[in-house]
Amino acid sequence: MKNSYIGQAWLVLALSVSFGAALAGVETWLRPTIEANKLAATIRWIPRIVPGADARRSARAAPIVVTVGTGRNETPYDVFRALDYQGGQIGWVVRASGKGFADKIEVLIGLDARAETITGLSILDQKETPGLGNKIEKMGDKKHKGFLWQFRYHHPRAGRPLVVTTASPRKGEAGGANKIRAVAGATISSKSVCSIINEALSRPLREKLIAALATTTRKGPRRD
Amino acid sequence: MAEDGPTPLERFLRGILPENPVYRQLLGMCPTLAVTNGMREAMTMAGAVTFVLLCANILISLIRHLLKPHLRILVFTLTIAAFVTIADRFLAAFLPEMSQKLGPYVPLIIVNCIIICRCEVCASKQSLPAAVGDAVGQSIGFALALASIATVREVLGSGSWFGLELLPESIWPRWGIMLLPPGAFLTLGLLLGGANRLSSWRSAKRAPQTSQG
Amino acid sequence: MEHLAELILIAVGAAVITNFVLTYFVGICPFIGVSRRVDMAFGMGCAVTFVISIAALLSWTVTWFILRQGAPLTTWIVRSVTGDASARPDLTILSYIVYIFVIASSVQLVEMYVRKFHPPLYKSFGVYLPLITTNCAILFACLKILSYVTDPKELWGLDKALVLAIFGGVGFTMAIVIMAGIREELDHCDVPKSLRGAAITLIVAGILAMAFMGFAGVDASLHDAMLPAKAPAATQPAESQKTAEARAPGPLALRQTDRQR
Repeated sequence: MKNSYIGQAWLVLALSVSFGAALAGVETWLRPTIEANKLAATIRWIPRIVPGADARRSARAAPIVVTVGTGRNETPYDVFRALDYQGGQIGWVVRASGKGFADKIEVLIGLDARAETITGLSILDQKETPGLGNKIEKMGDKKHKGFLWQFRYHHPRAGRPLVVTTASPRKGEAGGANKIRAVAGATISSKSVCSIINEALSRPLREKLIAALATTTRKGPRRD
Repeated sequence: MAEDGPTPLERFLRGILPENPVYRQLLGMCPTLAVTNGMREAMTMAGAVTFVLLCANILISLIRHLLKPHLRILVFTLTIAAFVTIADRFLAAFLPEMSQKLGPYVPLIIVNCIIICRCEVCASKQSLPAAVGDAVGQSIGFALALASIATVREVLGSGSWFGLELLPESIWPRWGIMLLPPGAFLTLGLLLGGANRLSSWRSAKRAPQTSQG
Repeated sequence: MEHLAELILIAVGAAVITNFVLTYFVGICPFIGVSRRVDMAFGMGCAVTFVISIAALLSWTVTWFILRQGAPLTTWIVRSVTGDASARPDLTILSYIVYIFVIASSVQLVEMYVRKFHPPLYKSFGVYLPLITTNCAILFACLKILSYVTDPKELWGLDKALVLAIFGGVGFTMAIVIMAGIREELDHCDVPKSLRGAAITLIVAGILAMAFMGFAGVDASLHDAMLPAKAPAATQPAESQKTAEARAPGPLALRQTDRQR
């Protein structure tokens, strides 16, 4: 019986080796495409959250990884440069994620070049409740403003924390831009998004972004 | 070698309705419940399962004379895992949105009972044409089952079909529960009950003729 | 303490809030097939928990040391063989095959253990014990651990992986035992003929899933309650940012009042 076991093992071994080779081939062939897809999924949002940015130009600038915190609390953030069509840097895009109501929420935060103002927000991935929490993806229009409209057109300051309210902020109120109106019936999803942004736009991160801006060769910061 | 067992055509036809993997054999429930909240996700999953089932059946049928009883489950699992990895990489490269939506359910095809069952029952015992017919038939049956559940869930839950809006929000309020786990369980349970009812009604109609044997 | 709080959150999340069976639809086949009687259901649940823990232990070890990009063992081998000091080999393409082998071996180990030390239990399981290999829940746990180990923000260690796996199994046991209890009662009811068996089980599972949906969001509040508020957004207003930049960046002040309810 022992003989037949060893005799049969050659089939398993032969299959393992040939499958291993096939998989290595598939990986080598497809890996560049998969990496490009991952990058493209992020890059295509850049023009929508940093006004004036050009997707193709920004795609050619390499993303940088900004690490915030030390030791155990070290958190890496993927940061993309938002370039206009002439190649000048007009902003930053920070990718951040955190826990939402249901599962992980992944966001892209658009900042101006000096990392002082939020220019836009997009939700990359969310699994919130359909019909309630998933309305955090809605931009809406001028008549029916969606959740994301506030980040794009109200210019919240990046230096101050975002605060979620269930009442509309009064026009002209000081610091009103940082008061974010929650999605009706989905306060926790809205709060999760804001705390993800607050945690990401910490002072160390913004200081590192300002330092990185100084090292770019073509400086063309435009106020938007 | 004399061909025993059902012919390729019989295997093909049986797989679609009489031996439907979901409604009759109750196999592969995990993806059936998980990916049917939209027709696009459901059909992508059906396509992936078709690819894996076809390739696995073909390979196992070609090497069936080399298989020994003790290690055959291992060989099946190895083959299926390799093809699922290939399918997963292809989806990530060419359909990245779908790959993200389907998430962990594509690698879970490895432990999908349908494929192991077909390898065991058909591919390891019959020649290539029968294995191919079986794989195609079972895949069509699986796709039909997924389509039936996905249609109900997507139309009631988002008012659309294949992403195209059918029922505007003003006519039909969205039943969010249909897109969530409870909706999946309830839909499959009720449709399964309906399928049982249909088959018992049809066999009751045929009962007077069965006295001949 | 913070680490313990994180582990508790993972445990509660895996067992109750995102229950493997009722939220992620894994482990449905035994959930429908073995949930006729409470004692059988409990036995199956314990066996699955046992297997899932061993499988998680083995798969985390293999992923951490061999499969992931920059894993210690493979990097050392590749660097010594090719002499390229910056090589970071990535073997995650083989992860599915490796995991299914790990699961099959875990089931074999458990089978041998049960056959040697609990022969009557082994007899009562019959064919269901080897069938645990095709239980989606175990592969699903291994895949979740893979995604958290390869995520640079999470980088899960063995403790978090084991907690996820064990409490995922506990959640599965809970769900299958509840279903068995309900089905034992259903045996005394007049279920329509076409709904008997799997159909009524699925409908009951749907109602159970609705009940478990009530737990959603509990982890967000538990997170706020247990972990100190990590709100490092600068508290100085933007006008005095210049003076703030002049100061050396020190530890960030936590202002609880900023996080209004």
